[in-house]
Amino acid sequence: MLHLAPVRLLRQSLLLLRSELRQELRDLELVLTSTFFTLVVLGMFYLSFAALEKKHTLPAVPGLLWLTVAFVGTITLTRAFDREREADTLRALLAAPVERLAIYVAKAGSTLLVLLVCCALLVPGLASMFPAGQVFWDMPLETAALVVLGCLGYVAIGTLFAAGLAGGGGKNMLLAVILYPVTTPVLMFALVTTRALLDNNPNLPSYLGQMAALDVILLGVGALLFEPVLVGSAPARSAAAAQRAARAGARRQESP
Amino acid sequence: MTGAPAPITPIVLRSVSQRFGRKVVLRGVDLELRAGSITGLVGANGAGKTTLFLILAGLLQPDGGERRFGGREVGDVDLELRARLAFVAHAPQLYPGLSARANLELFAELRRAAGLSSRPADDVLRGLGLPVDALDRPVSTFSRGMAQRVALARAVAGDPELLLLDEPFTALDARGRSQLAGALLAERDRGAAILLSSHDQGTLLRVCDRLVLLEAGAIVREVERGGDDPAAFAVRAAAVLDAVGPDDHAA
Amino acid sequence: MKRKSELVVPLLFVAAAPLVVYSVQRVFLHTPNERTMGTAFKIFFFHVPMGWLCMLMALISGIAAYVQLRRRSRTAGAVALAAAEIGFLGGLGVLLTGPIWGHATWGTPWTGDARQVTTALLWLVIAAYLLLRHFGQHASERLAAALAIFGAVNVPLIYYAVKLWKTTHPTTGVVAKLPPEMWATFWPGLAALLLVSFGLFAIRARQLILAGELDEAYVRLEDSRA
Repeated sequence: MLHLAPVRLLRQSLLLLRSELRQELRDLELVLTSTFFTLVVLGMFYLSFAALEKKHTLPAVPGLLWLTVAFVGTITLTRAFDREREADTLRALLAAPVERLAIYVAKAGSTLLVLLVCCALLVPGLASMFPAGQVFWDMPLETAALVVLGCLGYVAIGTLFAAGLAGGGGKNMLLAVILYPVTTPVLMFALVTTRALLDNNPNLPSYLGQMAALDVILLGVGALLFEPVLVGSAPARSAAAAQRAARAGARRQESP
Repeated sequence: MTGAPAPITPIVLRSVSQRFGRKVVLRGVDLELRAGSITGLVGANGAGKTTLFLILAGLLQPDGGERRFGGREVGDVDLELRARLAFVAHAPQLYPGLSARANLELFAELRRAAGLSSRPADDVLRGLGLPVDALDRPVSTFSRGMAQRVALARAVAGDPELLLLDEPFTALDARGRSQLAGALLAERDRGAAILLSSHDQGTLLRVCDRLVLLEAGAIVREVERGGDDPAAFAVRAAAVLDAVGPDDHAA
Repeated sequence: MKRKSELVVPLLFVAAAPLVVYSVQRVFLHTPNERTMGTAFKIFFFHVPMGWLCMLMALISGIAAYVQLRRRSRTAGAVALAAAEIGFLGGLGVLLTGPIWGHATWGTPWTGDARQVTTALLWLVIAAYLLLRHFGQHASERLAAALAIFGAVNVPLIYYAVKLWKTTHPTTGVVAKLPPEMWATFWPGLAALLLVSFGLFAIRARQLILAGELDEAYVRLEDSRA
């Protein structure tokens, strides 16, 4: 007998996430390319901004952190869904008796993990390059919460749009065009919260709470729209529409 | 799951249409797929075959018309229905980095996670003539024909009541084709409704109980295998196949 | 039914014409200069209504896109696109007038405050939506709808952003504190802008719907020939 929908969702999400990780562990393609890219960006930031005084790096560090997340996130999402597109495997999952939401959860989860691995390089990198980033060392728990919440919000929206483009056969170039404007609100919240962290702002917990609330909203929107965007939803048929269809059918019968 | 109450067959499409802007892909397709019967779908490239498959598999919502599964009109092809149909697309749709067994087991576990049954991977694969030692190699090392068989194995593992196959014979050699044809006949005898598109005329003539010709998005001709006179079917079917043109895919 | 709807657009413009003339002369000739900001304050009468228009259109576009996604309505899709285009223009107006006003009052065109930034972001989402509608294939139409919905979700975030970060931007309460004669100038101007915009919106939406019907007619013609 079919299990209840929440049970199916949970178990299938875990299975798909495990499969994503298993494939990733096989060749580490996403992790290696994304972390490499993170290091390149860090190096470029260092060359560009190493000469800045501490008071100038203070406003710069949050921007450097979340710009890099935006860059790396775009690369990771593009590559993650390119793989699905090359073998057309996303379609196989959509046609299988799999909760569509589980596909979203698994993809968002694996992308989040890759982003977090990159952040594990990025945050210490920024902290040691710029004196203003010292706070990251001093407040590791708050920093971790900030990074996790920011990245979660990013993938919540990013996964929806990357999957939509991959499923619709859309052009890849468009992904960057869409992802940057769409993810900037969450990145902006993250920027402000990071600034609060660097400033030792006593309101930091409330800022973090607001980021969490935003993540919940974004995950909700992403989950709500995932299936309609990927396969479309059946029109809620009104009685009038059904009648029209019946009449059209009758006309078809009459015409030779 | 065959233990489920009402069968989803016959599958009926009525006046199904699909267009993208001014490009009409399907115009008023009426089609019925019955249990224990193989329907061959033929038509030139671009006639709308793949779109028809996507609509039947629930991957595309048609612009107009009805889909009926077992007499019930279907809006969304929901999980319960997807559990009882299987779609083998033109591409094998397998994870290239995973082995054949891992690919099959992933989908079997996904079925079990939903409370559905699935035949053991090794059994189905052996039924399709895949060497067992190939099972643990990554699919990326497979020939197209082998990958295609793994995809079919994944499809039949759940004993689907509706089996949709879009060009499954592409890139198979003669032996592979006849093995696949044998597997399809076995599925038909199990009671599955099968829709099959192919450019391989010989195999179509051998396995199909019915042939429908799709031309510019409409079904323009239909021939059925009568019980009494196989030769007559062959003649009429040949006329339909001639309308498609030469065998341009299978080489 | 069709006849009646054809009357709506001319009526909107007929109603708007005197209002436009009246508000423009009122803004420039009959409203006293604001004490601290001087003449530059007059841009307020253009800037604020266009800001409201941009958000309203983003909201309409998002709701229409949701209907399009849920009901597969081509009409809703046309409405969403038309609203986004008008919203795009409104946003462009806000982003052009804002810096002028800002330069006069704060001495800098761009303070980087939250509402400025979020308005710019909303405008970018609208622009991305238009890009996707124009350059994406038909399959990405549903994705574009999701983008429009997201643009609408952004609108309350904008208001929230202002509340969250107390900034140099005049707070949302600025309108309430205006002297009555400023109010009397503001509302007719807002009405004029809305009437004209909805007129343009109606024309564009109907044009898009007609284009869709033309496609259908073309398809039927092809069918009858076949």
